[in-house]
Amino acid sequence: MYILYTDTDTDITPALAKEYGYKIISMPYSIDGVTTFPYVDYDVYDAHAFFEKLRGGALPNTSAISAESYKSYFEPEFAAGNDILYVHFSAAMSATFDVMRPVVDELLKKYPERKFYEIDTKGISILALNIVLEIGDLYKAGKSAEEIVEWAKTEVDHFAVYFFADDLKFFKHSGRVSGLAGTMGTLLGIRPIIHVNDEGKMVSIGKEKGRAKAIDRLVQYVAELGDKIEEHRVMIANSDCDDIVAEVKEELIGRFGDKLKIDVYDVNPTIGSHSGPNACGISFHSIHR
Amino acid sequence: MNTTVIDGIMFARMIEAGAANLSANRKTVNDLNVFPIPDGDTGDNMFMTINSGASMIKTNENRSLAKTASLAARGMLLGARGNSGVILSRIFSGISRGLGDCQAADIYEMQKALEAGIDESYSAVSVPVEGTILTVYKDAVNFAGSKITDGESFEKYFDDLTGELRRSLDRTPDLLAVLKEAGVVDSGGAGFVYIAEGMRRALAGEEIARADAPAPAQKSVDITKFTEDSELEFGYCTEFLLQLQRSKVDVDNFDITPLSEYLDRVGESLVIFKEGSIVKVHVHTMHPGEILNHCQKYGEFLTLKIENMTLQHNETTIRNNYKPIEMRPHKKYGIVTVAAGDGIKETFVSLGCDAVVDGGQSMNPSTQDLITAFGEVNADVIFVFPNNSNIIMTAKQAASLYDKADVKIIPTKTIGEGYAAISMFDQSVGDTDDIIENLGEIIDGVVTGAVSVAVRDTEKDGVSVKKDEYIGFVDDTIYVSKKDKNDALVGLSEKLGAKDYDIMLLIVGSDATDEESKAACARLKEAYRRTEIIMINGGQPIYDYIIILE
Repeated sequence: MYILYTDTDTDITPALAKEYGYKIISMPYSIDGVTTFPYVDYDVYDAHAFFEKLRGGALPNTSAISAESYKSYFEPEFAAGNDILYVHFSAAMSATFDVMRPVVDELLKKYPERKFYEIDTKGISILALNIVLEIGDLYKAGKSAEEIVEWAKTEVDHFAVYFFADDLKFFKHSGRVSGLAGTMGTLLGIRPIIHVNDEGKMVSIGKEKGRAKAIDRLVQYVAELGDKIEEHRVMIANSDCDDIVAEVKEELIGRFGDKLKIDVYDVNPTIGSHSGPNACGISFHSIHR
Repeated sequence: MNTTVIDGIMFARMIEAGAANLSANRKTVNDLNVFPIPDGDTGDNMFMTINSGASMIKTNENRSLAKTASLAARGMLLGARGNSGVILSRIFSGISRGLGDCQAADIYEMQKALEAGIDESYSAVSVPVEGTILTVYKDAVNFAGSKITDGESFEKYFDDLTGELRRSLDRTPDLLAVLKEAGVVDSGGAGFVYIAEGMRRALAGEEIARADAPAPAQKSVDITKFTEDSELEFGYCTEFLLQLQRSKVDVDNFDITPLSEYLDRVGESLVIFKEGSIVKVHVHTMHPGEILNHCQKYGEFLTLKIENMTLQHNETTIRNNYKPIEMRPHKKYGIVTVAAGDGIKETFVSLGCDAVVDGGQSMNPSTQDLITAFGEVNADVIFVFPNNSNIIMTAKQAASLYDKADVKIIPTKTIGEGYAAISMFDQSVGDTDDIIENLGEIIDGVVTGAVSVAVRDTEKDGVSVKKDEYIGFVDDTIYVSKKDKNDALVGLSEKLGAKDYDIMLLIVGSDATDEESKAACARLKEAYRRTEIIMINGGQPIYDYIIILE
């Protein structure tokens, strides 16, 4: 038997985790020295309250979790005789997995019968969640961990995300996006268009002036790169901007009809610390990223 | 008096008198504004242009006419501000060319030289417009030329010239509808009349006192900005005229190339040229003393000015963009733009401009200001966004005089066009030509409106304007006139169809209060829910509000 794990950077909520059989590793953020672990320090995520703090000038930081934390998640599973399949957010975006690997190696030595499977979604937020939920479907259908790992080898690259940010202050603070015009400090309605590439890194691929043009461009990517999108989930993530979500949804339905399965998610606070408020993106099944 | 020959000394006096006479009438020329708001600056621009020429020959004694005229023309080319200033500088440049190497000119030679000024000034403008300084100058030169008789004096010649200048000036409203509509004569033409009348008075031996009014763009210096704990970060702006000396060098065969190379090594933003036996140098350096010692090997200084750039309040580039000279990394593309108002300037810096030259509608930068900015940008290709139709010619003139980078003028006529282009500047679209094409497309369709106070009653574009009302306008077209500035703003937005645009940038000027601008922004947001309305504090003079619609 194997236990499914994922982490809060994938936008997963406890309700979804329960539905698909996942256990959640909480990835922390801190504001003014106060560190918060999502769904550990609170039960319900109040996205509006979090992004209001950022609008008010708060500039959060994120950090890797400790070796001890990993141990406290994984060891009880091994001790109970279970294997682990960890579907995690992009390893290229965080140092946290460098902390995790020695812990796993040590545990595998201690429990030589056990297996640790790892799937790197090479994504965050809804891009990771899209893959996490597809894997959840497979898990529920009774697929083995090996089968799911095989599936992931080809399918991870067939999920894409395109999004735009409203205020680059947060990305600049975190240094997580490459290709952002280093000079753009004031956005004044200019929205950098960002995607996550095959390596699992966020890359700025251009900019659009105004919300309408930015939304058009996101939907255009769905049209150009979408692959059997009606057979998979189409996800919209947003950092506290219902009005933008409504427009994106309207555009998607206008373009592709109402046969799409569209779900809307709040960007988790750890990733929201990088994106800032009023960012919005679409994840979909694609020909390539 | 009966002057039949003009030499360098007389010509220098005449230029000085022309500058002085214009300085006394600067405001009159400024007020000849076709638009009923207080942004006229032709008098200031032309004065600063001719004054830049006059200062080159102030110390000039016993010089040949050709050399004097050449030095004055060169000074005017570099000091030219605004379209009228550029045309003025080209008139004198043509005169200088027409004089050849003439030591002193008689009337026929002078007439030939003035005619060369007509050709040169017309060639400065891609589409010459009649009813402007071009026409006024041409009419007068042709008229005076037709009246020349043998043995005639320069006094009579200049009487003919100035008489026809006045008459042609009075005819400008018949040639240019905007002048007639506004009930004014052409301001550039008027400026030239004052210059020529001053020159005529110098012929009569009269000395004209300059008006004391300081030039509006004069730099203010705050010495508290450099204390015992300050570090010299920006160096010294060092300018001098060096008189080459026969006792030190072979003046006639002096080649400035090695000197130019030396100065380029030890300084930045170098402008250097030689006129006769005088070398003019403008350079930014950390060690002015070394440069002075070096240059003194060739001659002695006629004038000398050294300013600590940290103290310069009103420098050509905005302070927080002012990296120490040596630390500017080299890059392929650089961006220079022109703006007034600290908020707007900061916005341009944050959008990626390498240098923001101080200036705008009522304060045009000179050719030299732009060249200095080019020197501060360490790039192969420099894109220049003038953001004003009265600065484009100056920018082109500066580009033609600058050879250390490939300077491309993107003819943005408004702050809105400049903002649109610079904010979407994307060097990944291809080579320089592709970038220029892309910028052209971006500029297309951007609308820049403004709200400002009317200084006189007028009836224009079907709008009745009362003095002290606020008018909302785009380019030369008035859309509304209201007692309240916010009413004018909202009315203008309505007329421009703001609801059909994705973005409205509201730039608040220094004359609008916080309370007013907040109320204005709230009203616009209420009226245009689908349009993204972004307010920034521009701090610009004259325009209470600028709106940019994209």
